[in-house]
Amino acid sequence: MVIALLLIAGGAAAGAFGSLLGLGGGILIVPLLTLGFGLPLREAVGVSLISVIVTSGAAAAVYLERRVADLRLGMTLELFTAAGALVGALIAFLVEERLLAALFAGLLVYSAMSMWRAGRRKGGAPDGVTGYVVRNRGRGAVASVGAGVVSALLGVGGGLVKVPVMHLVMGVPLRVATATSNLMIGVTASAGAIVYLARDGIDPYVAGPVAVGVFVGASIGSRAAHRVPLPQLRILFVAVLLYSAVLMIRRALAVG
Amino acid sequence: MSLEASIARLLRLGVYLSMTLLAAGVIALLAAGISPLAGAPPLDPAAFAADLVDLRPDNLLWLGLLVLVATPSVRVLAALVGYLRSNEPRMVAVSLLILVVIAASIALALIVEP
Repeated sequence: MVIALLLIAGGAAAGAFGSLLGLGGGILIVPLLTLGFGLPLREAVGVSLISVIVTSGAAAAVYLERRVADLRLGMTLELFTAAGALVGALIAFLVEERLLAALFAGLLVYSAMSMWRAGRRKGGAPDGVTGYVVRNRGRGAVASVGAGVVSALLGVGGGLVKVPVMHLVMGVPLRVATATSNLMIGVTASAGAIVYLARDGIDPYVAGPVAVGVFVGASIGSRAAHRVPLPQLRILFVAVLLYSAVLMIRRALAVG
Repeated sequence: MSLEASIARLLRLGVYLSMTLLAAGVIALLAAGISPLAGAPPLDPAAFAADLVDLRPDNLLWLGLLVLVATPSVRVLAALVGYLRSNEPRMVAVSLLILVVIAASIALALIVEP
Protein backbone atom coordinates (compact mmCIF):
# COMPACT_ATOMS: atom_id res chain seq x y z
CA MET A 1 0.00 0.00 0.00
CA VAL A 2 2.64 2.47 1.11
CA ILE A 3 4.95 1.49 -1.72
CA ALA A 4 2.18 1.90 -4.32
CA LEU A 5 1.45 5.39 -2.99
CA LEU A 6 5.15 6.23 -2.94
CA LEU A 7 5.47 5.08 -6.57
CA ILE A 8 2.51 7.29 -7.55
CA ALA A 9 3.99 10.22 -5.63
CA GLY A 10 7.43 9.65 -7.15
CA GLY A 11 5.95 9.47 -10.64
CA ALA A 12 3.93 12.63 -9.97
CA ALA A 13 7.05 14.49 -8.80
CA ALA A 14 9.01 13.35 -11.85
CA GLY A 15 6.13 14.31 -14.15
CA ALA A 16 5.65 17.73 -12.55
CA PHE A 17 9.34 18.71 -12.46
CA GLY A 18 9.88 17.20 -15.90
CA SER A 19 7.20 19.39 -17.46
CA LEU A 20 8.29 22.49 -15.49
CA LEU A 21 11.90 22.13 -16.60
CA GLY A 22 11.23 20.86 -20.11
CA LEU A 23 12.91 17.57 -19.33
CA GLY A 24 11.40 14.31 -20.35
CA GLY A 25 10.35 12.47 -17.22
CA GLY A 26 12.74 9.63 -18.07
CA ILE A 27 15.88 11.25 -16.81
CA LEU A 28 14.21 11.57 -13.39
CA ILE A 29 12.27 8.28 -13.29
CA VAL A 30 15.20 5.94 -13.89
CA PRO A 31 17.25 7.30 -10.94
CA LEU A 32 14.09 7.40 -8.79
CA LEU A 33 13.33 3.72 -9.39
CA THR A 34 16.89 2.42 -9.19
CA LEU A 35 18.29 4.60 -6.42
CA GLY A 36 15.01 5.11 -4.53
CA PHE A 37 13.21 1.78 -4.91
CA GLY A 38 16.12 -0.54 -5.60
CA LEU A 39 14.86 -1.72 -8.97
CA PRO A 40 17.36 -3.22 -11.41
CA LEU A 41 18.36 -0.56 -13.93
CA ARG A 42 16.91 -2.38 -16.94
CA GLU A 43 13.49 -2.69 -15.28
CA ALA A 44 13.57 0.99 -14.42
CA VAL A 45 14.33 1.79 -18.06
CA GLY A 46 11.31 -0.25 -19.18
CA VAL A 47 8.97 1.56 -16.77
CA SER A 48 10.49 4.87 -17.80
CA LEU A 49 9.76 4.17 -21.48
CA ILE A 50 6.09 3.65 -20.55
CA SER A 51 6.08 6.96 -18.66
CA VAL A 52 7.57 8.93 -21.55
CA ILE A 53 4.85 7.58 -23.88
CA VAL A 54 2.30 9.04 -21.43
CA THR A 55 3.84 12.51 -21.24
CA SER A 56 4.59 12.67 -24.95
CA GLY A 57 1.10 11.52 -25.94
CA ALA A 58 -0.64 14.14 -23.83
CA ALA A 59 1.70 16.98 -24.85
CA ALA A 60 1.86 16.03 -28.54
CA ALA A 61 -1.94 16.28 -28.82
CA VAL A 62 -1.76 19.91 -27.66
CA TYR A 63 1.20 20.73 -29.93
CA LEU A 64 -0.54 19.21 -32.98
CA GLU A 65 -3.73 21.16 -32.37
CA ARG A 66 -1.78 24.40 -32.02
CA ARG A 67 0.05 23.56 -35.24
CA VAL A 68 3.45 23.84 -33.54
CA ALA A 69 4.53 20.22 -34.13
CA ASP A 70 5.51 19.42 -37.72
CA LEU A 71 3.77 16.09 -38.42
CA ARG A 72 5.55 15.42 -41.73
CA LEU A 73 9.03 16.15 -40.38
CA GLY A 74 8.30 14.26 -37.16
CA MET A 75 7.11 11.15 -38.97
CA THR A 76 10.03 11.20 -41.40
CA LEU A 77 12.53 11.38 -38.54
CA GLU A 78 10.70 8.94 -36.28
CA LEU A 79 11.19 6.27 -38.88
CA PHE A 80 14.88 6.56 -37.95
CA THR A 81 14.41 7.00 -34.18
CA ALA A 82 12.15 3.91 -34.13
CA ALA A 83 14.76 1.87 -36.01
CA GLY A 84 17.40 3.13 -33.55
CA ALA A 85 15.13 2.26 -30.61
CA LEU A 86 14.72 -1.27 -31.88
CA VAL A 87 18.50 -1.68 -31.97
CA GLY A 88 18.94 0.06 -28.61
CA ALA A 89 16.40 -2.18 -26.88
CA LEU A 90 18.07 -5.30 -28.23
CA ILE A 91 21.46 -4.00 -27.04
CA ALA A 92 19.99 -3.25 -23.60
CA PHE A 93 19.38 -6.96 -23.05
CA LEU A 94 22.92 -7.88 -24.13
CA VAL A 95 25.05 -5.52 -22.04
CA GLU A 96 25.82 -5.61 -18.34
CA GLU A 97 23.82 -3.40 -15.99
CA ARG A 98 27.00 -1.70 -14.86
CA LEU A 99 27.65 -0.44 -18.37
CA LEU A 100 24.09 0.89 -18.54
CA ALA A 101 24.65 2.63 -15.19
CA ALA A 102 27.85 4.23 -16.50
CA LEU A 103 26.08 5.40 -19.68
CA PHE A 104 23.20 6.77 -17.62
CA ALA A 105 25.64 8.66 -15.40
CA GLY A 106 27.06 10.25 -18.55
CA LEU A 107 23.57 11.23 -19.69
CA LEU A 108 22.83 12.80 -16.28
CA VAL A 109 25.99 14.91 -16.43
CA TYR A 110 25.19 15.99 -19.99
CA SER A 111 21.61 16.95 -18.99
CA ALA A 112 22.89 18.90 -15.99
CA MET A 113 25.30 20.79 -18.25
CA SER A 114 22.66 21.66 -20.84
CA MET A 115 20.23 22.72 -18.12
CA TRP A 116 22.90 24.97 -16.61
CA ARG A 117 23.62 26.54 -20.00
CA ALA A 118 19.90 26.98 -20.81
CA GLY A 119 19.53 28.88 -17.53
CA ARG A 120 22.33 31.30 -18.40
CA ARG A 121 21.19 31.97 -21.95
CA LYS A 122 19.66 35.41 -22.31
CA GLY A 123 16.12 34.98 -23.70
CA GLY A 124 16.80 34.14 -27.33
CA ALA A 125 15.12 35.91 -30.21
CA PRO A 126 11.50 34.88 -30.54
CA ASP A 127 11.08 32.54 -33.46
CA GLY A 128 8.01 31.75 -35.52
CA VAL A 129 6.49 28.39 -36.19
CA THR A 130 6.09 28.64 -39.96
CA GLY A 131 8.09 29.66 -43.00
CA TYR A 132 11.21 27.61 -42.25
CA VAL A 133 12.95 25.33 -44.72
CA VAL A 134 14.23 22.01 -43.41
CA ARG A 135 17.90 21.50 -44.29
CA ASN A 136 20.37 18.61 -43.91
CA ARG A 137 17.78 15.83 -43.79
CA GLY A 138 20.51 13.19 -44.12
CA ARG A 139 22.39 14.36 -41.04
CA GLY A 140 19.08 14.66 -39.20
CA ALA A 141 18.24 11.05 -40.06
CA VAL A 142 21.61 9.78 -38.80
CA ALA A 143 21.28 11.73 -35.54
CA SER A 144 17.74 10.37 -35.16
CA VAL A 145 19.01 6.79 -35.24
CA GLY A 146 21.39 7.76 -32.42
CA ALA A 147 18.57 9.41 -30.45
CA GLY A 148 16.49 6.24 -30.84
CA VAL A 149 19.30 4.03 -29.53
CA VAL A 150 19.78 6.29 -26.48
CA SER A 151 16.02 6.32 -25.86
CA ALA A 152 15.56 2.55 -25.75
CA LEU A 153 18.86 1.88 -23.99
CA LEU A 154 18.37 4.41 -21.18
CA GLY A 155 14.59 4.95 -21.04
CA VAL A 156 14.47 8.59 -22.06
CA GLY A 157 12.68 10.50 -24.79
CA GLY A 158 15.89 11.58 -26.49
CA GLY A 159 14.90 15.24 -26.81
CA LEU A 160 18.37 16.13 -25.57
CA VAL A 161 19.72 14.88 -28.92
CA LYS A 162 16.82 15.64 -31.28
CA VAL A 163 16.02 19.22 -30.30
CA PRO A 164 19.56 20.63 -30.84
CA VAL A 165 19.95 18.69 -34.09
CA MET A 166 16.62 19.89 -35.52
CA HIS A 167 17.24 23.45 -34.37
CA LEU A 168 20.93 23.91 -35.13
CA VAL A 169 21.54 21.48 -37.99
CA MET A 170 18.20 21.27 -39.76
CA GLY A 171 17.17 24.90 -39.39
CA VAL A 172 13.90 24.27 -37.54
CA PRO A 173 12.69 26.97 -35.10
CA LEU A 174 13.26 25.97 -31.47
CA ARG A 175 9.57 25.81 -30.53
CA VAL A 176 8.81 23.61 -33.53
CA ALA A 177 11.84 21.42 -32.79
CA THR A 178 10.72 20.91 -29.18
CA ALA A 179 7.12 20.13 -30.15
CA THR A 180 8.14 17.83 -33.00
CA SER A 181 10.64 16.00 -30.80
CA ASN A 182 7.84 15.45 -28.30
CA LEU A 183 5.57 14.03 -30.99
CA MET A 184 8.30 11.60 -32.07
CA ILE A 185 8.79 10.19 -28.57
CA GLY A 186 5.58 8.13 -28.71
CA VAL A 187 6.56 5.95 -31.68
CA THR A 188 10.23 5.85 -30.58
CA ALA A 189 9.52 4.79 -27.00
CA SER A 190 6.85 2.31 -28.04
CA ALA A 191 9.25 0.60 -30.48
CA GLY A 192 11.62 0.17 -27.53
CA ALA A 193 8.88 -0.66 -25.00
CA ILE A 194 7.55 -3.48 -27.21
CA VAL A 195 10.91 -5.25 -26.91
CA TYR A 196 10.93 -4.78 -23.11
CA LEU A 197 7.30 -5.95 -22.84
CA ALA A 198 7.90 -9.05 -24.95
CA ARG A 199 10.83 -10.01 -22.74
CA ASP A 200 9.02 -9.43 -19.43
CA GLY A 201 11.19 -6.37 -18.92
CA ILE A 202 8.29 -4.20 -17.70
CA ASP A 203 6.50 -5.06 -14.46
CA PRO A 204 2.93 -3.68 -14.64
CA TYR A 205 2.72 -3.52 -10.82
CA VAL A 206 5.44 -0.88 -10.91
CA ALA A 207 4.67 0.68 -14.31
CA GLY A 208 0.98 1.25 -13.48
CA PRO A 209 1.38 3.43 -10.37
CA VAL A 210 4.36 5.31 -11.85
CA ALA A 211 2.55 6.05 -15.15
CA VAL A 212 -0.58 7.28 -13.35
CA GLY A 213 1.61 9.47 -11.13
CA VAL A 214 3.51 10.88 -14.09
CA PHE A 215 0.25 11.72 -15.90
CA VAL A 216 -1.12 13.59 -12.88
CA GLY A 217 2.21 15.30 -12.18
CA ALA A 218 2.75 16.43 -15.76
CA SER A 219 -0.79 17.86 -15.91
CA ILE A 220 -0.16 19.85 -12.73
CA GLY A 221 3.31 20.93 -13.87
CA SER A 222 2.13 22.32 -17.20
CA ARG A 223 -0.51 24.44 -15.42
CA ALA A 224 1.76 25.67 -12.63
CA ALA A 225 4.68 26.71 -14.86
CA HIS A 226 4.06 30.46 -14.53
CA ARG A 227 3.84 30.35 -10.71
CA VAL A 228 7.15 28.66 -10.02
CA PRO A 229 10.54 30.43 -9.69
CA LEU A 230 12.20 28.57 -12.57
CA PRO A 231 15.82 29.80 -12.21
CA GLN A 232 16.04 28.53 -8.61
CA LEU A 233 14.33 25.28 -9.56
CA ARG A 234 16.82 24.85 -12.39
CA ILE A 235 19.82 25.25 -10.07
CA LEU A 236 18.26 22.78 -7.64
CA PHE A 237 17.83 20.25 -10.44
CA VAL A 238 21.34 20.68 -11.78
CA ALA A 239 22.39 19.61 -8.27
CA VAL A 240 19.89 16.70 -8.21
CA LEU A 241 21.09 15.45 -11.61
CA LEU A 242 24.76 15.66 -10.62
CA TYR A 243 24.09 13.89 -7.30
CA SER A 244 22.21 11.12 -9.16
CA ALA A 245 25.16 10.89 -11.55
CA VAL A 246 27.52 10.28 -8.62
CA LEU A 247 25.25 7.52 -7.28
CA MET A 248 25.01 5.97 -10.76
CA ILE A 249 28.79 6.00 -11.12
CA ARG A 250 29.09 4.26 -7.74
CA ARG A 251 26.62 1.67 -9.01
CA ALA A 252 28.64 1.21 -12.17
CA LEU A 253 31.83 0.70 -10.18
CA ALA A 254 30.27 -1.52 -7.53
CA VAL A 255 31.50 -5.07 -7.46
CA GLY A 256 28.66 -6.91 -9.18
CA MET B 1 -11.03 18.37 -39.54
CA SER B 2 -7.33 18.48 -40.44
CA LEU B 3 -5.18 15.37 -40.18
CA GLU B 4 -3.26 16.99 -37.32
CA ALA B 5 -6.49 17.60 -35.39
CA SER B 6 -7.79 14.06 -35.86
CA ILE B 7 -4.44 12.61 -34.80
CA ALA B 8 -4.43 14.85 -31.73
CA ARG B 9 -7.89 13.55 -30.83
CA LEU B 10 -6.72 9.96 -31.31
CA LEU B 11 -3.65 10.48 -29.10
CA ARG B 12 -5.78 11.99 -26.38
CA LEU B 13 -8.26 9.13 -26.57
CA GLY B 14 -5.46 6.54 -26.28
CA VAL B 15 -3.82 8.30 -23.33
CA TYR B 16 -7.13 8.80 -21.46
CA LEU B 17 -8.26 5.22 -22.09
CA SER B 18 -4.96 3.73 -20.95
CA MET B 19 -4.82 6.04 -17.92
CA THR B 20 -8.36 4.99 -16.92
CA LEU B 21 -7.39 1.31 -17.18
CA LEU B 22 -4.10 1.84 -15.33
CA ALA B 23 -5.79 3.89 -12.58
CA ALA B 24 -8.44 1.17 -12.18
CA GLY B 25 -5.64 -1.41 -12.03
CA VAL B 26 -3.79 0.59 -9.38
CA ILE B 27 -6.97 0.92 -7.28
CA ALA B 28 -7.56 -2.85 -7.62
CA LEU B 29 -3.92 -3.41 -6.62
CA LEU B 30 -4.36 -1.23 -3.53
CA ALA B 31 -7.68 -2.88 -2.67
CA ALA B 32 -6.13 -6.34 -2.91
CA GLY B 33 -3.26 -5.23 -0.69
CA ILE B 34 -0.62 -6.43 -3.16
CA SER B 35 2.83 -4.85 -2.92
CA PRO B 36 3.90 -3.38 -6.28
CA LEU B 37 7.35 -4.82 -5.67
CA ALA B 38 5.91 -8.35 -5.43
CA GLY B 39 6.27 -8.84 -9.18
CA ALA B 40 3.23 -9.16 -11.44
CA PRO B 41 2.35 -12.46 -13.07
CA PRO B 42 3.55 -12.48 -16.69
CA LEU B 43 1.09 -11.72 -19.47
CA ASP B 44 -0.64 -14.89 -20.64
CA PRO B 45 -2.20 -14.07 -24.01
CA ALA B 46 -4.20 -17.32 -24.08
CA ALA B 47 -6.00 -16.72 -20.78
CA PHE B 48 -6.06 -12.94 -21.07
CA ALA B 49 -9.50 -12.50 -22.64
CA ALA B 50 -11.13 -14.98 -20.28
CA ASP B 51 -9.44 -13.49 -17.21
CA LEU B 52 -10.28 -9.94 -18.09
CA VAL B 53 -13.87 -10.24 -16.89
CA ASP B 54 -12.47 -10.95 -13.40
CA LEU B 55 -11.01 -7.42 -13.32
CA ARG B 56 -7.87 -8.68 -11.63
CA PRO B 57 -5.34 -5.89 -11.02
CA ASP B 58 -2.67 -7.42 -13.25
CA ASN B 59 -5.11 -7.79 -16.15
CA LEU B 60 -6.29 -4.19 -15.93
CA LEU B 61 -2.68 -3.02 -15.73
CA TRP B 62 -1.58 -5.18 -18.66
CA LEU B 63 -4.48 -3.95 -20.77
CA GLY B 64 -3.70 -0.33 -19.88
CA LEU B 65 -0.05 -0.82 -20.86
CA LEU B 66 -0.98 -2.50 -24.14
CA VAL B 67 -3.42 0.30 -25.07
CA LEU B 68 -0.75 2.88 -24.23
CA VAL B 69 2.01 1.17 -26.21
CA ALA B 70 -0.35 0.64 -29.19
CA THR B 71 -1.50 4.27 -29.26
CA PRO B 72 1.49 5.67 -31.24
CA SER B 73 1.11 2.88 -33.83
CA VAL B 74 -2.59 3.62 -34.20
CA ARG B 75 -1.60 7.23 -34.71
CA VAL B 76 0.75 6.20 -37.55
CA LEU B 77 -2.03 4.08 -39.07
CA ALA B 78 -4.37 7.09 -39.01
CA ALA B 79 -1.69 9.22 -40.67
CA LEU B 80 -1.26 6.53 -43.33
CA VAL B 81 -4.97 6.69 -44.14
CA GLY B 82 -4.86 10.50 -44.18
CA TYR B 83 -1.86 10.65 -46.52
CA LEU B 84 -3.41 8.03 -48.81
CA ARG B 85 -6.48 10.27 -49.10
CA SER B 86 -4.48 13.43 -49.72
CA ASN B 87 -2.33 11.50 -52.18
CA GLU B 88 1.13 12.10 -50.71
CA PRO B 89 3.17 9.07 -51.84
CA ARG B 90 6.29 10.05 -49.86
CA MET B 91 4.40 10.26 -46.55
CA VAL B 92 2.48 7.07 -47.36
CA ALA B 93 5.84 5.31 -47.74
CA VAL B 94 7.16 6.85 -44.50
CA SER B 95 4.04 5.73 -42.58
CA LEU B 96 4.27 2.22 -43.98
CA LEU B 97 7.97 1.95 -43.14
CA ILE B 98 7.35 3.07 -39.53
CA LEU B 99 4.74 0.31 -39.21
CA VAL B 100 7.29 -2.15 -40.65
CA VAL B 101 9.82 -1.10 -37.98
CA ILE B 102 7.20 -1.55 -35.23
CA ALA B 103 6.27 -4.98 -36.62
CA ALA B 104 9.98 -5.84 -36.77
CA SER B 105 10.41 -4.90 -33.12
CA ILE B 106 7.55 -7.23 -32.16
CA ALA B 107 8.98 -10.02 -34.30
CA LEU B 108 12.61 -9.57 -33.21
CA ALA B 109 11.68 -9.29 -29.53
CA LEU B 110 9.95 -12.65 -29.73
CA ILE B 111 12.42 -14.43 -32.00
CA VAL B 112 15.92 -13.30 -31.00
CA GLU B 113 16.96 -14.79 -27.68
CA PRO B 114 18.64 -12.37 -25.29
